[in-house]
Amino acid sequence: MSSVNEHSGGTVAERAPTLELHEIQATILRPRPAPYFGTHVLLRVGDARPGRAFLRRLTPHIDSAANWWSAVDPWLEVGISYSGLEALGVPQDSLQSFPASFREGMAARARQLGDEGVNDPKNWDRPYGKGEVHIGVSAFSDSEENRRRILGIAREQLAGFSGVSVLAMQDFGAQPGDLNSLGYKDGIDQPAIEGSGVEPLPGQGEPIKAGEFILGYPGEAGSPLPLPQPDILGRNGTFVGFRKYQSRVGAFNRFLQANGRNEAERELLAAKLVGRWRSGAPLTLAPEVDNPALGADPHRNNDFNYSDDPRGRQAPLGCHIRRMNPRDTKLTRLTDVKLHRLIRRGTTYGPPYDSNALSEADDQVPRGAYFLFISAKAMATIEFLQQEWVNDGNFMGLDQERDPIIGLQEEGATFTIPREPVRRRVHGIDTFNVLRGGEYFFMPSLSALRWLGELG
Amino acid sequence: MATQTQIATTPQNEAVVEQKIQKLKELYADAPELGKVALEKGLPDLRRELAAATGTQNAGRIGARQGKVSELTGIIPFAKGGAKRLRGLLQALEGNFRGGDVVGTLHDMRFVFLDNDTQLLFATAYDGEWDAYIDDFVTKIPNSMDLIFSNLEGWPGIHNPSVKDFIVKHQIAAEAWYVANPNLTVAETRRLERIGKALDEFLDKVSE
Repeated sequence: MSSVNEHSGGTVAERAPTLELHEIQATILRPRPAPYFGTHVLLRVGDARPGRAFLRRLTPHIDSAANWWSAVDPWLEVGISYSGLEALGVPQDSLQSFPASFREGMAARARQLGDEGVNDPKNWDRPYGKGEVHIGVSAFSDSEENRRRILGIAREQLAGFSGVSVLAMQDFGAQPGDLNSLGYKDGIDQPAIEGSGVEPLPGQGEPIKAGEFILGYPGEAGSPLPLPQPDILGRNGTFVGFRKYQSRVGAFNRFLQANGRNEAERELLAAKLVGRWRSGAPLTLAPEVDNPALGADPHRNNDFNYSDDPRGRQAPLGCHIRRMNPRDTKLTRLTDVKLHRLIRRGTTYGPPYDSNALSEADDQVPRGAYFLFISAKAMATIEFLQQEWVNDGNFMGLDQERDPIIGLQEEGATFTIPREPVRRRVHGIDTFNVLRGGEYFFMPSLSALRWLGELG
Repeated sequence: MATQTQIATTPQNEAVVEQKIQKLKELYADAPELGKVALEKGLPDLRRELAAATGTQNAGRIGARQGKVSELTGIIPFAKGGAKRLRGLLQALEGNFRGGDVVGTLHDMRFVFLDNDTQLLFATAYDGEWDAYIDDFVTKIPNSMDLIFSNLEGWPGIHNPSVKDFIVKHQIAAEAWYVANPNLTVAETRRLERIGKALDEFLDKVSE
């Protein structure tokens, strides 16, 4: 079995972690296993009393982040939406202490998120965006057998309740090579978090203050973010933006076919869109041809910055990974890159990527990814990213160009590939990942889960 | 995007224009003779302008926006001695603000001292929405912010989370907002400047 901590695998620091890891939910720090197998379960709480009883039964099975760097067991995590907190009977003054965007919910923030057109909440799958999703439970494991076992534990806690119902269940993972639904290795670049107990991996950058990701600790500006009240509820918790994307594999392949004359050209174009080859090897370190060994090595596949590539001739300025983490790129706007990072847990669902899928019917095949975007200010950060780094190009000097992978493309959209002597501008780029749903969750600490279970 | 000619030719739009003109005639009924005559004589031009009106958008919580450019206008009382300090600072900067370049989104900034140096009129045109970037100001240019704005009464300090509310509280939305190039951000303008120069150099070489 390959290392569980493939994407985190830094060495344990000499200094003990300063975070209260035994309080913090495992998913916040633990990366996906490789390979990974899991299930998302969305629940509705019909009545506060059974809802709290369910939480009391579930909480002992929720894993903490203690020893997260060496943990190998499968684990369960739980998030609660604002309507979920209401349904559980959380007191009014406590509810009001949550950020406004969380209280409104992801669907209501569609304008700020740029979720319009095909991504508009009115087009979302059930049960998203209607205030019906109260609790999300996710199981992560390293084998199908373990997935079933850990999911069974979660389901046992539900047994015999009429007040808590399952709205949706979705298995994820188990793709050959852990590739995502557009055929790339993903989840490589994660922010390093100060005090989490491990040295950053090469290229992960300076650790970011824990308060950016976990409530109750100082952030980059020096002070902690306001805590949801009472303190026991807020402290060591965080927020999760949960977004379900469907990949339009046919449209993606048609775009590659239309703009690449042969396999080599198409694969280079595919790499230019992301900034990495499908293997995970970054263009900055492998600009001409793929290097699968480099892509597979967590100590090398993220060990770069853009100091030798200021104009994007290797990794285009507008490619996906350079947008999501510009590193040392000189941006047109005054920006502190450390303030706009997210912990990402991408979980792929549906059939694997098929390079021969070219039809419009292939675009309708349910496959894609559920993303968990984790941060102590996840709502503000996701809104910022959507407005500034995903659905605009101004910050990179790219005018109106959008992220080629997760952007919502408009008629006549382009993607610029800087080259010598003149850049290439590829036309006809389409929306390759369509948003099918989303919710904001609060991911409470273990003490907060007990507090919630014992309310009233 | 709809063009002006399309707008002008729809009968529905003509009716709207006529309604607006009727309204203006009523409003100007008690205007000085000069104003009444100007309205009458200027009607053909005004009619064209009204037919082409496209409206403004909002810039975040408050303020007007045209395309990618937003306006922020505020009138804020000076703190004790604040007018003297700020004037001294602005004079030391020789009335300019090249340091503003670093922000990358500021088209202009205007500092006007009102009412016997008791209030500051601050007006700026900038790209996008400011509150998305306020945290970046906190970690990147806290001293520049506090050096200028600590001269205003009630400035909580850039590190204080209530700073957004302070700004919004003093902000006055413009009644109207004209922008010649609503789709040109500061970054885009700089890029076009560079391209223009490069193109001229290229054409010079080709035509030699």
